[in-house]
Amino acid sequence: MKLTELMSKDLVDIDLKASTKNEVIDHMIEKLDQSDALKSKRKFKKAIEKREKEGSTGIGFKVAIPHGKSKAVTAPRVAFGLSRAGVDWNSVDGDNAQLVFMIAVPEESAGNEHLKILQMLSIKLMDEAFRNQLLNVQTVNEAYELLEQIG
Amino acid sequence: MKLLGITSCPNGIAHTYMAAESLRKGAEELGVKIKVETQGSIGVENEFTADEIREADGIIIAADKAVEKSRFVGKKVLVTGVQDGIHKAQELIRRFETGDVPEYKGDMKSINEVKQERKDKQNPFYRHLMNGVSYMIPFVAVGGLLIALSLAIGGHPTDSGLQIPKDSVWKQIMDVGSAGFTFMVPILAGFIAMSIADRPGLAPGMIGGYIAANGSFYGSEAGAGFLGGILAGFVAGYIAKWIKSWSVPRVIQPIMPILVIPLLASIVVASLFIFVVGAPIASLMDWLTAFLNGMQGASSIILALILGAMISFDMGGPVNKVAFLFGASMIGQGNVHIMGAIAAAICVPPLGMGLATLLNKKKYEKAEQEAGKAALAMGLVGITEGAIPFAAKDPLRVIPSIMAGSMVASTIAMLGHVGNNVPHGGPIVAVLGAISHPLMYFIGIVAGVFVTALLVNTVKKNVA
Repeated sequence: MKLTELMSKDLVDIDLKASTKNEVIDHMIEKLDQSDALKSKRKFKKAIEKREKEGSTGIGFKVAIPHGKSKAVTAPRVAFGLSRAGVDWNSVDGDNAQLVFMIAVPEESAGNEHLKILQMLSIKLMDEAFRNQLLNVQTVNEAYELLEQIG
Repeated sequence: MKLLGITSCPNGIAHTYMAAESLRKGAEELGVKIKVETQGSIGVENEFTADEIREADGIIIAADKAVEKSRFVGKKVLVTGVQDGIHKAQELIRRFETGDVPEYKGDMKSINEVKQERKDKQNPFYRHLMNGVSYMIPFVAVGGLLIALSLAIGGHPTDSGLQIPKDSVWKQIMDVGSAGFTFMVPILAGFIAMSIADRPGLAPGMIGGYIAANGSFYGSEAGAGFLGGILAGFVAGYIAKWIKSWSVPRVIQPIMPILVIPLLASIVVASLFIFVVGAPIASLMDWLTAFLNGMQGASSIILALILGAMISFDMGGPVNKVAFLFGASMIGQGNVHIMGAIAAAICVPPLGMGLATLLNKKKYEKAEQEAGKAALAMGLVGITEGAIPFAAKDPLRVIPSIMAGSMVASTIAMLGHVGNNVPHGGPIVAVLGAISHPLMYFIGIVAGVFVTALLVNTVKKNVA
């Protein structure tokens, strides 16, 4: 299984316009909803916000991974957004987040293959070279090709 | 350096694995070995084995979620958030190199602490005794079982006891067993002294124990047995502890524990046995021998009672030796009934204590239960020493119990006109055909064994 099996090109935005954390989250939830991954945008946003309250998902290295595990999620899905300007995400290292992965995980789902994929994504994001490649993509296809390596 | 890491985060989807990867990378760059256990939504992956925890120099817990730490009691444990695992991996690892990490004591007391506490509550006399006995038990077991095996298979009854032909392989096995027995009293004394005075007590204790067990040092036919060993251990230990408390010039301090304390304490304990205890032991033996000779005309029942008590009193010590040699010399004079009574008494202490451990496990620690099984084997071939670990550990309860059992056994054997023309004891002499009236012999043994077992289990307390 590959990361891209949890994604589609529609879920990749290489030029996020939103300038605040809240706007970025709303925008990406909208995208996930359009891909039929969500039963309720409101409930999923609650899950995302709950996780942010436990500690910012801005892990530093210009990466943020807002994620929510909720009954409002029908199928595991990942959205990716690249912000050229960067968004303040209360990251530990103070840097603005540019690479934003929004992860939607159902409360209960058969098997844990999708969790394995997210594990691979997490590990890959620790790789500086990979992050730099991702920061410099010019097209959705370019970004998608990089994400296809995961899995 | 070998480290372990645990990472965990609230959802267990991403941070857990990022921190794990970061720790692995950081360790690799620093040339440190690390294994990271991830406690994420997939479950626990890469779980540590007990061996890995034991071998680890430390554990990094980078988690925003409670992680069960009881596995790590006594290890260096660094607890921090998952973000530190992601961002400060190298810094965390370096803290183990600078030794800047506290040991995890545990919310629960570790087994060792509980044991230590229990020890502190105990009477120090028993604590030191127990230390000596616990180290002695394997020597008794190895020595006794090898001797028992070689006697049972290779032994032939003769006028001078059960003998093994010199060219037989059983003779060599017997010698190995005897080597084990040789260490019995020195080890007992040595580790009693070590319990009192730490390491500087070991040498004077062992040397003192060896002297105590060897009558030749003080012109006695028999050594002072395990009771002498206990005395040697306590004397050596307290002398060593006392010398430790001396204030000495700085230059001498380094050689105090390895040279001065052991040397002085050894001289004192050796002098004690050679000049003070030795002579009374020798004269005690002479007196007891004369006493027994004088008893010949008296009631054979009283003689049997006395002999049974003497055999069990110090099991291989001077009192036991006098009784045994008296019985052996009586065979030469044509009276085989004395040895018959003694032979029945000889096997009661180990068989009785062995049975006692089987009847009530609550009153004996694990090591004692094992020693009980070894004692049963030793009892069958007439090796009284099998009961020594029990008697040395709890003399005031065990010695009277085994004496009572042996007195019952020797009296019944005497009343049953049991004769034995081989100076050796236990069921084996009957099996080898040296016993007349074997039925009464066995009735005496069984009765004595039950008396000992029931009595000792009545007076002994449960182990905590």
